[in-house]
Amino acid sequence: MNKTITFTINGQQQTLEVEPGTMLIDLIRDQLNLTGTKRGCDNATCGSCVIIMDGKAVKSCSMPSEKADQKNIFTIEGISKGMHLHVIQQELIQSGAIQCGFCTPGIVNELVALFDQKPNCSETEIITAINKHLCRCTGYEPILEGTLKAQKKLLG
Amino acid sequence: MTYKYLGKSYIRPDAIAKATGKAIFLDDIRIPGMLYAAILRPKFAHAIIVEIDTSEAEKMPGVLNVVTGQDCKIHYGDNISDFVPMAVDRVRHIGEPVAAVIADTPFHAKEALEKIKVVYDPLPVYVDAKESLHENSILIHPDLTDYWHLPTIHPEPGTNIAHKYQLVKGSGEKGFDEADVVIEHEFNYPLASCAALEPHGAIAWFKEDHTIEIWSSSICPFIIRDEIAKSYGIPVSDVRIHIPELGGCFGYKSDVTVEETIAWIASFVPGKPIKWVASRQEDITSTLLGHGIRTVMKIGAKKDGELVALKTTIYHSTGAYSDTGVNVMMAATHNSTGPYEFKHCDLTGYSVYTNTPPVGAFRGYGHAEPQFATERMMDILARAINMSPLELRMKNYLKEGKVNSLGEHMWESNGSVEKCADIVDNAIYGHEQVKEDDNYYYGRGFAALMKSPKGAPFSTKGCYMKMNIDGSVSINMGGAEVGQGLRTVVQQVAAEALQIPPEKIRVYTELDTQFSPYEWQTIGSMFTMQGGRAIVRAAKKLIQILKRTAAQVLKTDVDYLEYDGENVYLRNDPSVKISVKELNRGYITEDGITVGEVAQAVSDARLPRYSNPDKNGQGNLGVTYTFGAQGAEIRIEKKTGKVIVDHIASAFDVGTVVNPLQIRGTVLGGVIIGLGAALYEKVEIDDAGNITNPHYFQYHIPTLKEAPRQTIEFVETPDPIGPFGARGIGEHPVIGVAPAILNAIFEAIGVDFYDLPVTPEKIRAAMETRKENVK
Ligand code: FES
Ligand code: FES
Repeated sequence: MNKTITFTINGQQQTLEVEPGTMLIDLIRDQLNLTGTKRGCDNATCGSCVIIMDGKAVKSCSMPSEKADQKNIFTIEGISKGMHLHVIQQELIQSGAIQCGFCTPGIVNELVALFDQKPNCSETEIITAINKHLCRCTGYEPILEGTLKAQKKLLG
Repeated sequence: MTYKYLGKSYIRPDAIAKATGKAIFLDDIRIPGMLYAAILRPKFAHAIIVEIDTSEAEKMPGVLNVVTGQDCKIHYGDNISDFVPMAVDRVRHIGEPVAAVIADTPFHAKEALEKIKVVYDPLPVYVDAKESLHENSILIHPDLTDYWHLPTIHPEPGTNIAHKYQLVKGSGEKGFDEADVVIEHEFNYPLASCAALEPHGAIAWFKEDHTIEIWSSSICPFIIRDEIAKSYGIPVSDVRIHIPELGGCFGYKSDVTVEETIAWIASFVPGKPIKWVASRQEDITSTLLGHGIRTVMKIGAKKDGELVALKTTIYHSTGAYSDTGVNVMMAATHNSTGPYEFKHCDLTGYSVYTNTPPVGAFRGYGHAEPQFATERMMDILARAINMSPLELRMKNYLKEGKVNSLGEHMWESNGSVEKCADIVDNAIYGHEQVKEDDNYYYGRGFAALMKSPKGAPFSTKGCYMKMNIDGSVSINMGGAEVGQGLRTVVQQVAAEALQIPPEKIRVYTELDTQFSPYEWQTIGSMFTMQGGRAIVRAAKKLIQILKRTAAQVLKTDVDYLEYDGENVYLRNDPSVKISVKELNRGYITEDGITVGEVAQAVSDARLPRYSNPDKNGQGNLGVTYTFGAQGAEIRIEKKTGKVIVDHIASAFDVGTVVNPLQIRGTVLGGVIIGLGAALYEKVEIDDAGNITNPHYFQYHIPTLKEAPRQTIEFVETPDPIGPFGARGIGEHPVIGVAPAILNAIFEAIGVDFYDLPVTPEKIRAAMETRKENVK
């Protein structure tokens, strides 16, 4: 039985019918056409699909879509505001943390959620967060470097 | 030499689109009326297909069609046409397409797949070249002799050998007579997956007007175009291939991989675009794997360390189809010397069919695999003759006056492996070695390396450049951006060549064979060198057009004129000048009459005198080389046997650094892939040919916590071919990592490993044996 759910995504309210068994990533990519959320694996390992749900970074590939009901969701499309990129996006770019960019949306969301919840988090916490994500291109160093710079800027 | 726009860390032009999630990758493309395919894989890795029953599947909800390979006459491959789009009468590996369902949603397509019934008659399964080479082994390709192949490919009838390549230099094996010391070992660089974060995918659309349009996550649109046109008997110009953004490649998105299969499926439903995107499991089991190379190596040397003879035999488990692998084997064979001169070489390589997924390119392309052997052998030889391993290497490096296995002469302009070695020596051995403690053994290791492009003599890259009315420039090329940053290189090299700031140069985004200039394929760490040269050549033409128009306006000879990016002016009196803005669409005179050509130019570039191998297997098969060195500092946890890599140092002679930030990123990422090969990555295949670890949680690629600190430096000996002296660096950072780590492991615990990856279990087992021996 299809279920009707209501949620806010990138600041916009949506009411949608979802088929049971579909995952949040399918809803986001296929029903809402927000293709910035990426799929890199079959079983919640790579982190490419991470979005922000009620302030927490979650893997949309392993989240049943009906769980989105009454939630506040941000995907990568909601992180920058018009021409203004989030500081995290800016610093990742400046640090050379983007090569193919397939892992980037998930990592940006992970870090936005982390810094929103805990602006002062330690480097170890940052490393633990990034460690949940696979990147085949960058060797991670620029991602960590960009993140640390972004945190500094965010703390002002 | 200092340049205006090279050597500076410009930010890549595609960074913002990627950071905001707006970059369009294959799976993000939606075409009106698009349908979805799901593909059935076999239950056996090698079997005759007795019967396929699709009737049940056809009745499933949303299903439009069920496709099999029955009656498929297509054979494809641009080296040897041994590939088929879908299994016809037999399956040869566990990821082979057996049938496909076309449905309205991916879910419906997958659901119906389960209803297809196939009866198989299993055949013996060979998962390693050595098994298929056995004289009693049955033939994986009974029709091998019927396949079209390039004249340089030599299949051996009546065997599972798809290609044999042999190189003899000097007296070949007889050269060992001159040696005082001979050592021999066998090494294995197992099957692995490039495992880019974006899986493969394609959309194929057979249109009512008899044209075919394909979108693919590939780096070789022009090869796909040629092959598809050949397969369906239509003009090449009637096939259009699009390449969107690519989420990493590392090799396995080169050559034709999934496109022929998706085209075959789409050919059953003309007028409808069909999309297929691999799951991670399919990406690992059914696209291309990498490596699978066994290297048997024998080295002969004088007591004083002079290398005299090398005998290498490469056994390449090329998988069920060899088209994408034959050149990997050739590269592995002639590059097995590493960066050293051997007076005598006897090098043989075999591409051998196995019942495993086909092998193709993987960053390092036939260089990482044999040089893993060479660099381990250098350390082992050094011990045998009681010499320092670095000194032994130093004595034998390829440099001006030396001749490599291919018979190519080395020049100073090829770059200096010695300088790279010194940098790494200092970074790794320049401080006290940490002493063994309660928890850890410590070790340091070194490896030198070289890589040639391994392309094809006809490999070329094109550039189309146009200057716009405001003096800005648009550049279009056929090179695929996979994340390596070629767009930044294009921007900077064009800026330098045209003397225009990079901000005024806009680089192309996606590829489209309808608009993109021809490029063979974006492989072999060759884009900076070949593509850069194409840019320089196009820029020269464009400047010449501006000058010719200016000569008419300024009433002088073309060769009296100079160009500085903004104006064309008289050399002896720069006040006599005209702005490029007035010239680039032709010059409009007072009465409107317009003279001169539009400032746009096309060019291409090839490597000079790149050739096929001669009867000795030699020739200009390398042409250009990048040399380097890498070193590792490691710790081994006593309790677990876990290897922790604390530090990797790398130095490469790249000719000219185009973009410091980006080139550092290239090395950082490459080293991590080498680290994966050394310690974690192996596609596990059981005796029945099943892949038992086709997911990231099983096939582990390194994460941040495993990434070592890295020291990265560059030597800049300008190259005479590349643009402004630059040469290739894309794949090189992978090559020395595994041997450096394994050499360090020896230093730490005194155990030689010959097989990758070195897992904690292997270390623990070795420690156990060591204890036994001590008892
Ligand atoms: S797609 Fe890989 S974790 Fe969700
Ligand atoms: S930038 Fe390519 S996977 Fe991270």
